[in-house]
Amino acid sequence: MPVPTKSFDRSLWVFHVNTGSCNGCDIEILAALTPRYDVERFGIKLVGSPRHADALLVTGPVTRDMVDKVKRIYNQVPDPKVVIVIGSCGISGGVFHESYNLAGPVDKVIPVDVYVPGCPPRPEAIIDGVVKAWMKLEKLRGEKK
Amino acid sequence: MNLDFLTPYGFWNPILWLLVIFVTLLIAYLLWLRGNPKYKKGTDQTQPFLSGYAPESKEAMMVSASNIYWGFTSSLKGYYDFLRKMHTGDVRDYLGWYVGIMAIMLLAYILWGGA
Repeated sequence: MPVPTKSFDRSLWVFHVNTGSCNGCDIEILAALTPRYDVERFGIKLVGSPRHADALLVTGPVTRDMVDKVKRIYNQVPDPKVVIVIGSCGISGGVFHESYNLAGPVDKVIPVDVYVPGCPPRPEAIIDGVVKAWMKLEKLRGEKK
Repeated sequence: MNLDFLTPYGFWNPILWLLVIFVTLLIAYLLWLRGNPKYKKGTDQTQPFLSGYAPESKEAMMVSASNIYWGFTSSLKGYYDFLRKMHTGDVRDYLGWYVGIMAIMLLAYILWGGA
């Protein structure tokens, strides 16, 4: 997959939001930040506010209580932005797909760019998904220029 | 016009101070210019992030000065309640206090003062 620019424009700042996950995927995201994988050496960094982020990392199916919140968080990320869904639950509802209090998978609530399947996915898969999202973001930035 | 002052605490020149303020504001402006200009005004992008909750009015979110010494006023509640009762907002009451205290002070002066 060709990289749109010779070098990445800047580091990728990611905001993580849990919309109803069992925390399995969240633990794997944290594992990607530990010294074994250390994604921060590539400039991939978790930030504390969506207003500082380039990408949204969503785990879990969207519970009814989280619908307005995840929409607001998505709207708060400055453009251009990408959304990465981590785990089977966010993609299809997973083991919770028949639950009475689910609004549905993430792409029923906000637009999604990259899906990383798994229950939970390994940190390597998460990093691969984030890199794919990064390349899409670079393309979007290139189109905007 | 010489604006240099040598005070007991050191050298002071108002023009120099204005220059310092100007340079500080210039640095602040340059830092502000380096911010992301792509935030869309009037949308959620310029709203504060409150874990996904809708921001309330500024009045509802601000910590007022009375919140800071809440413990103080709470522990001295009896004293403050008494003071509040005294503050009726009626000028006649305040004049009554004034005249009364003056009368007591005058009496004290006549009885024990002046010697």
